[in-house]
Amino acid sequence: MSRTATRAIGVVSRLAGMAATLLVTSFLVFSSLYLAPGDPASFLVRGRSAGPEELAQIRHRYGFDEPFLVRYWDWLGGVLHGDFGRSYVFHQDVSSVIWSRLPATLLLIAASALLIAVVGVAAGIVGALRRGTRTDSMLMLLVTVGAAAPAFVAALLLRSLFGVKLGWFPTIGNGTGVLDRLHHVVLPAIALSVTFMAMVTRVTRSSMLEELGREHVEVAVSRGTPRWTVIRRHVLRNALGPIVTVSALLISGMLVSTSIVETAFGMSGVGSLLVTSVNQMDFQVVQAIVLLVVAAFVVVNFLVDLVHPLIDPRVAAAGSAR
Amino acid sequence: MRTVRRAAGALLAASAVLITSACSGTADKNEDAAAGTSYELTKQTPAAAGDIGSFTWSIYAEPSSLDYAYAYDYPPNQILANVCESLLRWNPDLTTSPNLASSFTNPTPTTWVYKIRPGVRFHDGTVLTAKDVVASLRRHMDPAVGSAWENTFRNVKSIDMTGPLEVTVKLTKPDAVFNQEMATSSGTIESAATLAKAGKDYGSPKGGVNCTGPFSFGSWASGQSLTLKKFDGYWNKELKPKAGQVKFVFLSDATTRVNAFQSGEVDGGWMVPADAYDQLGSSTAGKLYFGVNSTVAEEIVGDLKGPLGDVEVRKALLMAIDRKGIVKAGVGGTGEIADSLVTDNMWDQAPAADRKAIIKDVPHYPYDPAKAKEIAEKAGVKGERIVIATSPLDSQTTIVAQAMEQAAKAIGLDPKIETLSPEKYSTLFTDAAARKGIDLFLTFWYTSITDPLDVYGSLETGMFTNYGGWSNKEFDQAVEDASGTYDPAARAAASAKAQKIALRELPWLPLYTQPTSVFLGNRITGVQPSVAYLYYPWAAEIGAKK
Repeated sequence: MSRTATRAIGVVSRLAGMAATLLVTSFLVFSSLYLAPGDPASFLVRGRSAGPEELAQIRHRYGFDEPFLVRYWDWLGGVLHGDFGRSYVFHQDVSSVIWSRLPATLLLIAASALLIAVVGVAAGIVGALRRGTRTDSMLMLLVTVGAAAPAFVAALLLRSLFGVKLGWFPTIGNGTGVLDRLHHVVLPAIALSVTFMAMVTRVTRSSMLEELGREHVEVAVSRGTPRWTVIRRHVLRNALGPIVTVSALLISGMLVSTSIVETAFGMSGVGSLLVTSVNQMDFQVVQAIVLLVVAAFVVVNFLVDLVHPLIDPRVAAAGSAR
Repeated sequence: MRTVRRAAGALLAASAVLITSACSGTADKNEDAAAGTSYELTKQTPAAAGDIGSFTWSIYAEPSSLDYAYAYDYPPNQILANVCESLLRWNPDLTTSPNLASSFTNPTPTTWVYKIRPGVRFHDGTVLTAKDVVASLRRHMDPAVGSAWENTFRNVKSIDMTGPLEVTVKLTKPDAVFNQEMATSSGTIESAATLAKAGKDYGSPKGGVNCTGPFSFGSWASGQSLTLKKFDGYWNKELKPKAGQVKFVFLSDATTRVNAFQSGEVDGGWMVPADAYDQLGSSTAGKLYFGVNSTVAEEIVGDLKGPLGDVEVRKALLMAIDRKGIVKAGVGGTGEIADSLVTDNMWDQAPAADRKAIIKDVPHYPYDPAKAKEIAEKAGVKGERIVIATSPLDSQTTIVAQAMEQAAKAIGLDPKIETLSPEKYSTLFTDAAARKGIDLFLTFWYTSITDPLDVYGSLETGMFTNYGGWSNKEFDQAVEDASGTYDPAARAAASAKAQKIALRELPWLPLYTQPTSVFLGNRITGVQPSVAYLYYPWAAEIGAKK
């Protein structure tokens, strides 16, 4: 079989696996919330004097009285058509509730991802190349502090220093228009990515150091290959695998951690929506967001697996030899 | 009567602060010598010097809808108060006056006739008629709507148009509260055509609302902000808006709100976090004001079959609670010990001669742990377990729970604090099963009419809000008498009788009251600080400072 054919089969089977994962997830998500304590009907009346009859009516209207599998099937059918149901709290379609908040979160993640990939990797490279120097130890100190700084502490510090004291950045809201939005996202993105940046710096540094110590690198250096060429061709290329994997996982996991930063900066995003929805037992919204997060995770993983062989030929070779 | 919802709703939103107060209307100085603090109630902030293009206001949560049928909580009500109007109006001094109904009569005890004000226009330019009033009111009685205010209409037989500008409501029995409720969301009037057209989108970011208030619905960036626009066709010249636009921003985090006040990004907001009073009181970014409130923090006895089933034990417990200490630690001294389940200003409708006596004439429970211990010992509950529910909602709730635990210990009980998640905590107000095994839980109960029946009516036997299942025939009769009596003096006397019984029996333990708080940044002024902001078009009075 040709290598391309093998690759194609691999991709297709991965896609099927992805679909299966999502299906299983959707079932778990739906059933876990179904089993959660608390009666959504009694929540829907919000403290009104609702008698058992009215509660029964509400249960019927929202379909709570249907058998579990019927409800799951209905929900899944809706989801496949992009219909995530109606929010109990917002009296709107779940999709419009989420859509209106998605851009802010995506921008926040994109900005953080950029910081992680550029600043994190760059700092790691510098650290590795300047190993043992004062620059390196300064970097490592920053990394230690950064890795230990929870997002909410970072948000608090950034907000009071650069927002309230110096007045350089807005402390609340998403902003309107491109420049204003970017202006609004700077502090939240830094707060969100500080820990992840530190982790990526550390991974990059150690991965680079490992490659630098390899025989073929030493050989290349002894042969008089220019230093930067060696680094680019032999060190960075080989070190990139773990760096990409770690970065991608961190970034896809970020969807979950945006809530703290969004709340701290009064941003309206999916993260803060998830927290309020959980608190308000807005099941339909919670289900949709959880499913979305899992889907993002699965898709990013899939893409990393696809990209991996391209940056590291050894992985591809191992794959076809199997 | 309808306030738990708000208590529950507000608790749910995990707002940093829930509010309270005592002292009625007057701008007086409250000196608390022991706590060494003082605060002043302001009737009205300095008048606006002129118009302002727009101002920004913070709210701790996004409203779930602008549909008046679901407006029972701080976020929707403080917005809607400026957009939609009711038949009557609740004023900042807590009086009620005609509004969209230019007058009302009560020809028989079971009939209320409302004359609709002529020449009032909706935001879309159409003219208000009796048809709109009938459609808006009847909606609360439609089970398919599931209005939060249906309880107001429990004694209503019919609502009909009896003229182009006249609506007649027939009751099955006299109900003195019904008419007062026409100043709340119960009496909100929306265009009948809009209700029919908007359908399920009514009140949502997509559908918006179309009412008669000084501001019209502008835009709603879901999750972020909601903007109101000045309505040029507004009928009431006295409340003509001074601001062209008001932008409400939803900031759930208390520190974020305080920061936004200080950086000037937000011009103001109601419900200032109590732990920021000091910080904002001395801020150069603006001024912190306090105003009248109608809220009392009270501990609900959720289980009357346990050790607290003995009224003597409840009395002992209340006497062992250091309420002064709670006020000092929980709200920085900005509050008063509550001797009643309602604030004093709830008696404003009673004849002046009776008012003082009614307020004073209740059993008092001064802090006396030694005597309390004695009483409890006699009752023989030593070492019995009680469970106090709390939730990490705000500093006040936590502090009260600790004080309750201390008090219970002091009288020989074996207390246990049970910490619930905010959503679980809110189910205590809605679900009897959730209250099982919980002896005590805290509520911040505010009224939306100026009548003690708002609270005492909810303690009648069998009422949904009578959480502990307390029952007293004499009390029920007094409440029924008060509800069915239109004469202010007679109604006050009946309500006072109910109050005395409730405070003798203590189905709920009154703790403290706290003023309404509002922060105004340096750009704006003119608002009247009062809990009436939930129904009064307060934003219309805000204009430029200089």
